[in-house]
Amino acid sequence: MRFVIRSLIAVVLLAAGPAAAQQGVSDTEIVLGGSNSFSGPLAFTGEQATKFGVDLYVKVVNDAGGINGRKVRTIFYDDGYRPQDSVANTRKLVEQDGIFAVIAPQGTPPVVATLDYLGQNKVPLLFPFQGSPIVRGHKYVFSGMTLYDRQSKMMIDYLVGPRKYKSFAAIYQDDEYGKAFLTSFEKDLARHNLKLVASEPIKRGATDVSAQVAKLQAAKPQVTFLVLTPGAGAQTLKERQKIGWNDTLMVSSGPLTDERYLALAGDAAEGVEGLSLWPDPLTSDLPGMKAYREAMQKYFPKNEVNRYSLSGYFAAMLFAEGAKRAGRGLNRENLITSLEGIKDWQSGILPAITIGGDHETQRQGFWVKVDKGRFQQLTEWLKSD
Amino acid sequence: MTTAALIHVVVSGLATGSIYALMALSLVIVYNATRTLNFAQGEMLMVSTFVAWTCQRALGLPLVVALLAAVLAGGLLALVFERLVIRRAIGATHWDVLILTLGLSLILKAAAGIVWSHDEFPFPSFFSSRPIALGPVRVAPASLGIIGASLVLMLALAVLFRWTRLGRAMRAVAQNQRAARLMGISVERVHASAWVLAAVVGAIAGVLVAPVIFLSSKMGLVVINGFTAAVVGGFGSMPGAVLGGMLLGVLENLAPLYLPSGIRYSVPFLVLIAILLVRPAGLLGRVERRKV
Amino acid sequence: MRVRVAVAVLAVALLLWPWVAPRYFVFLASLVFVNAVVAIGLNLLSGFTNQLSFGHAGFLAIGAYSAALITLHAPAVPVIVTLALAGIVTAVVGLAFGVPCLRLSGLYLAMATLAFGFVIVEAILNLDALTRGADGLSVPVARLGAWPLASDTARYYLALVVTAVLVAGAVNLTRSRVGRAFLAIRESEIAAQASGVPVALYKTLAFGVSAFYTGVAGGLFAFLVGFLSPDGFDVFLSVDFVVMIILGGLGSVPGSIAGAAVVTVLNDGLAAFQNYRPLVFGAILIACMLFMPGGITGAARALARRLTAPPGGRSCASSSAA
Repeated sequence: MRFVIRSLIAVVLLAAGPAAAQQGVSDTEIVLGGSNSFSGPLAFTGEQATKFGVDLYVKVVNDAGGINGRKVRTIFYDDGYRPQDSVANTRKLVEQDGIFAVIAPQGTPPVVATLDYLGQNKVPLLFPFQGSPIVRGHKYVFSGMTLYDRQSKMMIDYLVGPRKYKSFAAIYQDDEYGKAFLTSFEKDLARHNLKLVASEPIKRGATDVSAQVAKLQAAKPQVTFLVLTPGAGAQTLKERQKIGWNDTLMVSSGPLTDERYLALAGDAAEGVEGLSLWPDPLTSDLPGMKAYREAMQKYFPKNEVNRYSLSGYFAAMLFAEGAKRAGRGLNRENLITSLEGIKDWQSGILPAITIGGDHETQRQGFWVKVDKGRFQQLTEWLKSD
Repeated sequence: MTTAALIHVVVSGLATGSIYALMALSLVIVYNATRTLNFAQGEMLMVSTFVAWTCQRALGLPLVVALLAAVLAGGLLALVFERLVIRRAIGATHWDVLILTLGLSLILKAAAGIVWSHDEFPFPSFFSSRPIALGPVRVAPASLGIIGASLVLMLALAVLFRWTRLGRAMRAVAQNQRAARLMGISVERVHASAWVLAAVVGAIAGVLVAPVIFLSSKMGLVVINGFTAAVVGGFGSMPGAVLGGMLLGVLENLAPLYLPSGIRYSVPFLVLIAILLVRPAGLLGRVERRKV
Repeated sequence: MRVRVAVAVLAVALLLWPWVAPRYFVFLASLVFVNAVVAIGLNLLSGFTNQLSFGHAGFLAIGAYSAALITLHAPAVPVIVTLALAGIVTAVVGLAFGVPCLRLSGLYLAMATLAFGFVIVEAILNLDALTRGADGLSVPVARLGAWPLASDTARYYLALVVTAVLVAGAVNLTRSRVGRAFLAIRESEIAAQASGVPVALYKTLAFGVSAFYTGVAGGLFAFLVGFLSPDGFDVFLSVDFVVMIILGGLGSVPGSIAGAAVVTVLNDGLAAFQNYRPLVFGAILIACMLFMPGGITGAARALARRLTAPPGGRSCASSSAA
């Protein structure tokens, strides 16, 4: 009998977890967190966006005294891009670690898996690093990256309009990123009474793209969209160079238009164009970009600047702005209100941000062309409305 | 689809297939000698290639020296792990060794991410990137180079197994471990040699393929293609591994040309299943008849 | 006697768990149950009849999607029936796959199951009219009659009851003639055949039962997680299941449960290590296999032997293989 009672007591003691902070906002700190990829297919971008992105800005803010006298602390867990792990991690963060809000999680399946739970528990989901329009219309969700349908609209309107192209093809990754773009392209082309003449999917991690590129070449498109990851994108460009297929314009999607893909493709990237979502991290002399580079140099000198850490940095920056405006009495409801109230805010990185009730924080993009290994700006910021 | 384009696609497939073949050979070498699967074969290839990259980029050494460094690193890693861990596994069944190599693969991949990050890096090639024109057909020198280098390596392995003492010892152990030991062959040394040899083959394969698929911590996943190739060809048979690899590479490339997108990625696995149903021992494998 | 008391205490603890533990740990315990059922299913196939499978994530996916789609399109079906149906659908696929696999053994069979896992996930991705493919499928809340199982506690008890029933079933199976036949097949297929055991029948049966268990677990998984996507059922998940049974001990039902519990809790506990997590997990795996060959069951048996060895002399029984 004593044995039984002792066992029960042991069970109760073991089970009592740490007392969870009510809202993630105490007198001295604000706790943010998120489930992200630190292993698996998107490990690099996950690490950059969190440790070298969000955390970079958090260091800057904390060194300057914090937000309304509170320092920011972040907790990130690895989900390896698996939705079930992201659900478990997110629950742990909300229930055990007591975070105030989720910031910058990555990938459509891991993020969508947590939407219902976060909505039910009224936890803000801030600026996920993904572009599927599925995050629209949730009260507690603010999108991050310019959503894919806006990107597609900008790309197609620009190419069909001022550039007067008529035939388009696409090579896309065989997952929700690629397929979301494909659907959007077809919708936007239909508005101009056009269709895609060819489209070829590529599996994530494919080792050879020669067959897909050969098929696209046979369809003779004037423009070929690349909706891929940097590795596959660079492979496609190199393959195109190998077979001497010069009479198509290669255009990269927003997430692909970055320096990593240029580094991998080498001289095969000359003349390639794309939609850029950010100013050039290395050369832009906008004040916010300079501050970003200085911060990276100060805290993580060995880490090169890139658009992934920039997007995490910007996410933290936008959160800080919203939290600052909400004042000392910060809670989830007034954070949402103050973020919605952001109008014509100059970040020094992106064009003036106005958020409003639709909770879309980024709507921007501009056209670039690769010249001597770097993206050169061809247009002003394009309109996506 | 013009014939020229088709030939280009097939040659490209043969090049990828050669890498699968080399990976399959590594797996078969270890399996034949030790009757265990090395789950970490791909990650060992990846780490060796990163070592080569560090030598070439950070230390500025010429590519040939970097290749040598990769081979040495791979061999050393294999030797150390085999001696310190595999050998020590008391009462190790094959399942236990499987888990040991799985643990190693997890450690190597995470360690590579910590040391070099999970980013992707361009890797210099031994071969020029200017396509060669053979009539209307355009072939990449890299493809030809990979096929050629792999064939040379396979030939070297064949010579090793046929005509050197070590090779004969390995074949003896593969046939019958107890009898080999009775004949005075050090089975422990053969095990260690098999691990080292497999790692060397992997390191060379890594340096050959990295310019094409880019260097990253994900490179190790090519081991799955290697397994598939080895089984298709008949696990345990080295010519089978080569045939399986080449076949797989070409099929993977032809599938998108002729099959709808729903099926094309399953092709290697459907082929595998089909072959196992028709010929359980693989294309060139021998069906083992066990006498009771 | 001590075993009975321990089991009773465990049962009480499990029943009381949602009342003493924070919500997250109730959720985690439910995940342990799901993994335990898969591990038992996998062990019946791989540990008992020696048919190693690297494709069980595929069976889990079939069960999960089946349960989700049934609940989505026929919400009136009670959850127990949904789970049973999910198990049956998966079992049918398992049998269909197991029959041709009879000709394969060892490594070839393992590779075939690996291929199976990939093909299933690819099929789920491409049947997107049904499964919503890459976008993923939201799973509706399970219903027991008119009562929606919308809380962690409700789902925990569902998982607990289902797991208890399946564990009892597995233990009965292993102690029955069928179970003995399974073990005979593992020890020596040829001897078993020669002794009159219909090997082909039992090997196929093992596939079916294993798939059934994993399919039911898949249904529970769907209700627990609430969202399914092909990304979640990759080959690494199949490998996780293999780790569970080898760590727990091949051919042992309690071993499967122990292995599942250890791997689930370990993975959860290591989440904060971020990119160091696989490194620590791999090191732990290596350490475990070096010091506990035969897994947890093997170590437990060795410990039990040592504890019950007669003083001052070695018992003859201590030299049997773990």
